[in-house]
Amino acid sequence: MRNARARSTAGAAMPRGLSRRSLVKGAGGLSLATALPLAACGTSGGTTGGKTAIRFLYATGDDTWNAVAKAVADAFNAQSATATVELDPLPAGSDYATAMKTMDATGNWPALVDMRDTSTYLDAGKLAPIPEAVTSLLNEEVYAPSEDGEVYIVPTTALNGELGFNIVYDRDYFEEHGLAAPTTYAEFVALLDAVKSNGDGALATAAGEVWPSDQLWKPLAAPWFARYSDAGGFWTAVAAGEASMEDLREPLERLKTITDEYVIEGWQSTQDAQTSTLLINGQAVMATSSAGIGRLNDIAKVDPDFNAGLFAVPADDGKIHVLKNSVNGDTASGFAISAQAQQDGKQYDAAVEFLEFYFAVDTCDLMEETGMIAPNIKDADQVTRNESIPGAADYFALLENPNLAWFQNDTAMSAISTFNTFFRQSRIEMQDGQTTIDECIAKCQEEFENLAAEG
Amino acid sequence: MTTETAVPETRTPLRPAAPRGRARSRRQRAVMLLFIAPALVVYVLMVIAPSLQSVQLSLTNWDGINPAYDYVGLRNYQDILTSDRFWNATTNTLILGLGSAAIINVIALAVALMLDRLHRAQGFFRTIVYLPALVSGFIAATIWKYMLNFNFGAVNTVLRDLGFEGAAMDWLGDNDIVVGVLLFIICFTLGGNTTLIYLANLQSVPQELVEAAKIDGASGRQVFRYVTWPMLAGAVTVNMTLAMIAGWTIFDQVMVLTAGGPGFISETMAFFIYKVGFGEYRAGYGSAAAIVLFAVVMATTVLANRYMRSREVQG
Repeated sequence: MRNARARSTAGAAMPRGLSRRSLVKGAGGLSLATALPLAACGTSGGTTGGKTAIRFLYATGDDTWNAVAKAVADAFNAQSATATVELDPLPAGSDYATAMKTMDATGNWPALVDMRDTSTYLDAGKLAPIPEAVTSLLNEEVYAPSEDGEVYIVPTTALNGELGFNIVYDRDYFEEHGLAAPTTYAEFVALLDAVKSNGDGALATAAGEVWPSDQLWKPLAAPWFARYSDAGGFWTAVAAGEASMEDLREPLERLKTITDEYVIEGWQSTQDAQTSTLLINGQAVMATSSAGIGRLNDIAKVDPDFNAGLFAVPADDGKIHVLKNSVNGDTASGFAISAQAQQDGKQYDAAVEFLEFYFAVDTCDLMEETGMIAPNIKDADQVTRNESIPGAADYFALLENPNLAWFQNDTAMSAISTFNTFFRQSRIEMQDGQTTIDECIAKCQEEFENLAAEG
Repeated sequence: MTTETAVPETRTPLRPAAPRGRARSRRQRAVMLLFIAPALVVYVLMVIAPSLQSVQLSLTNWDGINPAYDYVGLRNYQDILTSDRFWNATTNTLILGLGSAAIINVIALAVALMLDRLHRAQGFFRTIVYLPALVSGFIAATIWKYMLNFNFGAVNTVLRDLGFEGAAMDWLGDNDIVVGVLLFIICFTLGGNTTLIYLANLQSVPQELVEAAKIDGASGRQVFRYVTWPMLAGAVTVNMTLAMIAGWTIFDQVMVLTAGGPGFISETMAFFIYKVGFGEYRAGYGSAAAIVLFAVVMATTVLANRYMRSREVQG
């Protein structure tokens, strides 16, 4: 009975002139209309006013880098007759790996990428070789061919390793209280003590985004990592069973002590950029940074009168151990051209044209004016350096410091990016008092072994 | 049955018409199938196929980028089930899922009862109650993030200005309270829909029953306990189920407010899957976690539903 009623209702509801055949056609058409846009998903690139439009994806670490990217792209677009660069910044606070993975999943690679975790993407065949027309503009020390003889990554800025991982401070406060930048680790601790005993916030650091937690850890651990520089790096030694996480106990203890004793409250949820505000507002006398001159430039833009200084955390013996990033491998970072752009041809040519422009002397001058140290090009002596940013002289002095000791820490382990993320979160957990140093060491060792076993 | 007897005798005999009827029925089914085909195609491509592929990927060590990967058997499942991090995420998910479901339903029912008794400006207050549900979880979480910032947030600033310096806390960074803060924010965001469903059900309770109970001398509390509450049993089942499912899949708030931290302390299962699958280049491992999450959600939802359905029958 229900079926009979349903049939009659259906018949009554059907408008006149709409036959079953036309209904069937209509429904089929709807199916096709849905399927076609789906099939068309995943296209990228295009042309703008006859020019080849390419996207440049980059991580927005600090305002200075954002400003440089915009200034260089604008200058390029104004002079190029064949290509246009569109900026595609990753939102501040977004996780780089996640954003890249999402982009890869949609098959929508930009032509130019501000690359990290390089090995992962190189192994996956996502990157295209960078031609000699580009590499010939650069100092030979800042790029290197991969195993297949091709160059896949070139630097976006001066290759000064992790010299940008340092402490930015209020120079006026230091002068007022008779304090000076430390020359040994003991002096660094004494400096923190002195500020604390004045009743002021000694050090601002951030862990709200996870990765800035490296800013305090890396300088503290550098002397221990440096011991393995000639033996292929610390992580290679751990993988080979010649070292273990236990060897990092002392820097972990230092990290915990500094966090407990001298870091101002709220670091667990503080964002990286907020540490500049804390410094300028006088809520902290020192702040960790990983952007070097870029951070000084950001501070100068917010408060041009703020008298900033900068120093690197020294080791017990006064040496300043700084990681010299490999120009290859997973720790290498810089520009890469996507394999997707290479397939297109025109996109690849446009990307190459942009890189040639990027490494020209005039463009390097523009970068310096905007507040970033220009990359190490062959004509570097023609570049006009910008030393007008308050504190910039301290940075350049670090480069000349006789105690500066470069070290390397490369590893062939493909899962090192995965481990680094885990290690950061485990350290924050330990700094926060949720686990002990013993527990942190044990769980990180176990995780490292698991990931190493996976290859 | 009465309608069967009411069929006029002049109606076309059933037997000879049956083949034509079956053919017509088949054609109608075909038409209906074609109409739902667009949605079905999208659903199969976007939901079913990836879900099935997740099962396959959960048995691999795929990094999510490189097309090459190896099958590792059940190792991902073994690693997940022996991982403290995973169980912490599971615990948080249960706290946030069950906790938000219980809290939201209690508060939403109370608010719906109050709204039901309002004789003036009910529309205005209904809108006020529903407004937070109109804001996306991501946006709401971002606003809360600014408000709860330890150094510059409105909440701590007000507390400090009022002289309650000690009450100013690192709401999103203190590992003792961060899950509770997330629970509060989730309840605040998700309460609107639940309230409206209760309100609609309250307004459909037959007034004759209520009046009969009152005439029989029942107090307001007794009317609620023995008349209104049993009539709401269906709404409770729907609301609890919806709230629990929303709780199991909490992601936006965790992503924006704490990113699972400090450390791993506020990770939920959905966030854990996202983090390992995307942020740590372990798509195989993340897929295995997703399968486990599916099993947990199915088991708990079925059990909870079974209990609530039995309650409906008793009611």
